[in-house]
Amino acid sequence: MSARNPKDNDPVLPAVEERVVERELVGAEAALGETFAVPIGPIHPALKEPIRLTFRVRGERIVGVDIRTGFAHRGIEFMGMRQGRNLIQILYLAERICGICSVSHPIAFTQAVERAAGIEVPPRAQYIRVIISELERIHSHLLWAGVAAHELGFDTLLHLTWRVREKVLDVLEELSGNRIDYAIPIFGGVRRDIAPEQYPKVWEAIRYYRGLLEQLLDAFLRDPTVEARTRGVGVLEPKEAEELCAVGPTARASGLRKDVRQDRPYLAYPDFQVRAITPEDYGLTPVGDVYDKIVVRLLEVEQSLNIIEQALENMPEGEITSFPKIPALLAYLKKAEGEGLGWHEAPRGEVIHYVRLAAGEESLLVWKVKAPTYSNLLSWYPMFEDQEIADIPIIAASIDPCICCMDRVYLVRGGKEEVWPKEKLLKLSWEKTRRMQR
Amino acid sequence: MRAEEVLRALTASLGAQLRSYELRPREVGVRRKWTVEEVWAEVEREALPKAVAALKALGPLHISVISGHDAGETIELLYHLAVGFGTEGGEVVVTLRTFLPKSDPTAPSLCAVLPGAEITEREKIEFLGVDFLGIPRRDHVFLPDGFPVHPWRRDEPELARFLHRMVEWEKGHERKEPQG
Repeated sequence: MSARNPKDNDPVLPAVEERVVERELVGAEAALGETFAVPIGPIHPALKEPIRLTFRVRGERIVGVDIRTGFAHRGIEFMGMRQGRNLIQILYLAERICGICSVSHPIAFTQAVERAAGIEVPPRAQYIRVIISELERIHSHLLWAGVAAHELGFDTLLHLTWRVREKVLDVLEELSGNRIDYAIPIFGGVRRDIAPEQYPKVWEAIRYYRGLLEQLLDAFLRDPTVEARTRGVGVLEPKEAEELCAVGPTARASGLRKDVRQDRPYLAYPDFQVRAITPEDYGLTPVGDVYDKIVVRLLEVEQSLNIIEQALENMPEGEITSFPKIPALLAYLKKAEGEGLGWHEAPRGEVIHYVRLAAGEESLLVWKVKAPTYSNLLSWYPMFEDQEIADIPIIAASIDPCICCMDRVYLVRGGKEEVWPKEKLLKLSWEKTRRMQR
Repeated sequence: MRAEEVLRALTASLGAQLRSYELRPREVGVRRKWTVEEVWAEVEREALPKAVAALKALGPLHISVISGHDAGETIELLYHLAVGFGTEGGEVVVTLRTFLPKSDPTAPSLCAVLPGAEITEREKIEFLGVDFLGIPRRDHVFLPDGFPVHPWRRDEPELARFLHRMVEWEKGHERKEPQG
């Protein structure tokens, strides 16, 4: 292996240990027979969460992929349905489905329960939910942009993006008390108001990001290296995006104007007349490659700033919850019966929750959660096709799958398995960038 | 897209296989009011591909997810779909409900009409023990291969024992942690 990578003594990275293990092939790998397969994962592949991707390659080109998830399946729906928790306790679970979109799941879940139980949400609470979820979108998109830069070997840009991301986390901490897991939505409203003395802090952040937008667009979209590494890479055709029911920026980068806030508005979103953003809004013809996904996410940061600005200017006065006392809320929910759907456009796309309540039960009878990556998983199949091994990290990251660090890669031929640690695969990606820069 | 159009298309293509339906509009917005329309319909399981094809003919179709529930004698599946994205408030949310008898828990796969349904159908295979006829890939997505139970079924005799074993394993695991 060392012959393949003469730069193993690169001072930037520690030398990586390599090992060759004999083992019997099982399942999907066995079906591949003597073809050359590159399984990635399941433990920390290109992605933060464990997932296993088995690539079939011809030379440096990928000709097929097999995806296997579930290594971190926590059975959250089962815990909600079958272990006797009451709805407030289940709200805690919903908040912990995802650390990055930690307000998206509670927003969809509370809406589903409110719909099933017939609970109204006061206008001010709807605005606060919108503000928090748009702040979350800014932090999530900047986080993703930094990760994408890192996958390309552009760490200066990673540090710049993550430095500016701190501002929005400060605002979220100011408004909710936490950098993540804001615990804002509750059935019938929100748990915390936004006080008048907190407004200036939010306004200051909006001004800060407005001043930086041009610089960010410049650093990402007008950089020849980023363009060379992302143009034409990981393409998802519009037709495929529609057929595979892709959601969020993954679908919009392929030119589909698909955004839950626009298509089936909820909460106070009709007030802001949200329009789904595609690369056309930046004067480009949508291709559906990684570059377009960067375009969409960066433009959505600006869109979120506009929404927050409008929300702050037009914030209605009044109550923030229709159930100020928790015991009264729980008693009401126990009597409620019905079913409901709740949805939300999370930073990664559509989140949807279905719940069914039974009268006399504190717990849920049925709960189904759908996260955006669940819908975008199938998009990986066409995106990886005919791509290079060195592009695996950036393509895997391009759907923003809550997954980021390539821990190790296995190369399997016959019964032999060679383990590639994440540093090695990232290095392959970085070397490609350096090669292109020369 | 209006809910009436959706209902017309479903009635025309399914006839008596559309057992019942209900419209559940929801008012949204604070200063600018909007009505989002939801159609909830119960269909026979054989009619599912036909229903989805009829919806697809109306406009771009999206499947969010399939919810499932062990309803005692039957397994209830709810297909959460949305038709007509692309314009403001243009989408109608459609939920198709169908019941499968436990003696024959099979349903036709939608993958031929709507390839995006694959992951959610495979999830139902492992969690509810439902079989989808004609699904291109049927291996597990979330649970390990050979997982002994279908966790969302309420008639699983093995489930309690399995969960108990897991708790015991975790307890044993904790004891092995180094002290200090």
